[in-house]
Amino acid sequence: MHASLINIAVTGYVLATGLALAYLVQRQDLVHRLAVLATLAGWAVHSVAIIARALELGAPPLGNLPDAISVTVWVIVLVEVLIERRTGVRVLGAFVLPIVVVLSLKATTPRAVTLAPALASAWIWIHIALALIGFAAFVFNFAGALMYVLQERQLKAKRPGTFYYRLPALDTLDRLTFRTLALGFPFLTTGLILGALWARTAWGSVLTFDPLASLSFIAWAIYAATLAGRAVAGLHGRRAAYFAVFGFSVLVLTLGAGFFLPGRHGS
Amino acid sequence: MGLFVAGLNHRTAPVAVREQLAVEEDKLRELIRDVHATGAAREAVLISTCNRVEVYAVADAPGEARAAVFRRLCQHRGLDHGLVESHVYTHVDEEAVRHAFRVASSLDSMMVGEPQILGQVKDAFALAQACETVGPTLHTLFSQAFAVAKKVRTETDIARHAVSVSFAAVELAKKIFSGLTGRAVLLVGAGKMSELAAKHLVDQGAFPVYVVNRTWARAQELARALSGTAVPFAELDVALGSVDIVVTSTGAPEPVIRRELVQRVMHGRRGRPLFFIDIAVPRDVDEAVGTLNDVYCYDIDDLKQVVDANLRERAREAQRAELLVEREVAKFSERLRDVEVIPTIVSLRERLESIRAAELRRALARVPDAPAEIREAMEALSSGIVNKIMHAPITKLRESGRAGMGRSWTTLVQELFGLGRTP
Repeated sequence: MHASLINIAVTGYVLATGLALAYLVQRQDLVHRLAVLATLAGWAVHSVAIIARALELGAPPLGNLPDAISVTVWVIVLVEVLIERRTGVRVLGAFVLPIVVVLSLKATTPRAVTLAPALASAWIWIHIALALIGFAAFVFNFAGALMYVLQERQLKAKRPGTFYYRLPALDTLDRLTFRTLALGFPFLTTGLILGALWARTAWGSVLTFDPLASLSFIAWAIYAATLAGRAVAGLHGRRAAYFAVFGFSVLVLTLGAGFFLPGRHGS
Repeated sequence: MGLFVAGLNHRTAPVAVREQLAVEEDKLRELIRDVHATGAAREAVLISTCNRVEVYAVADAPGEARAAVFRRLCQHRGLDHGLVESHVYTHVDEEAVRHAFRVASSLDSMMVGEPQILGQVKDAFALAQACETVGPTLHTLFSQAFAVAKKVRTETDIARHAVSVSFAAVELAKKIFSGLTGRAVLLVGAGKMSELAAKHLVDQGAFPVYVVNRTWARAQELARALSGTAVPFAELDVALGSVDIVVTSTGAPEPVIRRELVQRVMHGRRGRPLFFIDIAVPRDVDEAVGTLNDVYCYDIDDLKQVVDANLRERAREAQRAELLVEREVAKFSERLRDVEVIPTIVSLRERLESIRAAELRRALARVPDAPAEIREAMEALSSGIVNKIMHAPITKLRESGRAGMGRSWTTLVQELFGLGRTP
């Protein structure tokens, strides 16, 4: 039941991605409307799937990586639609939805239904939830940065192309990148601190080696440096965008490590 | 259906002919009334702009009506009819609908997507309405043409991107700064072109405006014209530090704004972007300035390149607009054929209904004591008979309309049932 619902939702997201990319190339209202429709349809089915999963587990569906990713994707899609609505940046879907699709492929992998025994404390749920909200914010941080780099390149090259016509203004994109960083960072920070504290109670040490945990500290350091640079050193624009892309690459590696390397986060 | 359009435009006729034929408004009224009064055309709308003179009309004999209109037009200016005739195109029925839609949507304009033509067509239509030469066919046609034009404008980007250098500069500025409200502008040099660009920027909300010029008096003059402030030439670097957009157009033989200067200025700006619009030839801004971070520098050729790209974008959008128009033409042709037969269908219904009502009243008067069931049965019986009789002719009328044979069938039905005459 849950698996087939997830598959339907992912189909909706794949369709929405195709339409959003088509809209980027060929600005047509109808295509955009269909993309939003497919996104919302996928999201609605996804909501039901998550509820079904929670009922099946008798706990929040965050206890293992695929479930947690699934919830993150759900949050990202919701926020994507809301931002598009509020800011009128209608090409956002073309940059965020492909990431959604890649992530949700991981959300459909079969998984153990039993909970890991370590997941006993309420703190662990908060740790997971905060880290995932942070991650969702950084998806938008990355999308904003990517759009900034593309638009800036066109403006510098003085040859207007698809991106020049479709992407919003540089300062809009820089603001989007900054705000998502400012939003995501506290969540990531608190999530990591809770994780470390919890690791000490559960395993007796903050520094137990876990690939996901180690990489996420590197990502955190990159984002911390970017935020500090923005606040005091006038870091902005293209360089800040490069930092955002770098940070996100490490975050993706972090998730990859969680899936493919043996460690305590497990898959 | 007898609908046709005949006329000449910038493609078929040289300006020497167009200017001769163009009609001013007063004369237009007179002409359109004349044409209508002769009975050659049942309906007529005349459009006259500097790029086109066209008549849209509905006539039983389109060929004669067309000749009458152009004879009258030439006569008015004392032109040789034969000379004009070689420039005139004629479209009938569906072709005429397509032409009307394309003209109103600015697809037939010299500059595709230009906004004036729709207003001109609307004016011409209003004038014809005032002269009472518009009937149901042209009314439907033009209302739909306006709707299609609106659709083209909103659903395609045909009129979206700038096709002049100064507007292209404004558009670029909007891709760097999301809005221009409150963005400060600096004019270096006081050329006509830079004044125009500055005006466009101010229209979009840019404020305040500073003017730097070697000649102090000219700087003050231009500053007054733009409600800005004149700044001494020596304070150029200070001004550069505080503005967002710089428009340069001095007559200086060497660049006025060098890389070192801008580099120094950028240090104090803390990452705020600076946009140079260099309209001067020879250029005022050193080419190397554009390599600095957060500095965007467009010279006159770059701007022309943007305009060219915009024109290509317009051409692409025009293709999409043509498809949209094509769909609308197909939809509309069907409707127009219905328009032709609908008045006859309506009067047929009214005629039969009035007969039924009169006969029923008379029958009921003869049996004043009849119970309610009987009355209802009589009512139902009469309606049933009338509806059954009406069904076949109405279906036939609709079919004939769709097949483009509406006129002969409506005449036939009108004759058979004595419609159009007061009973």
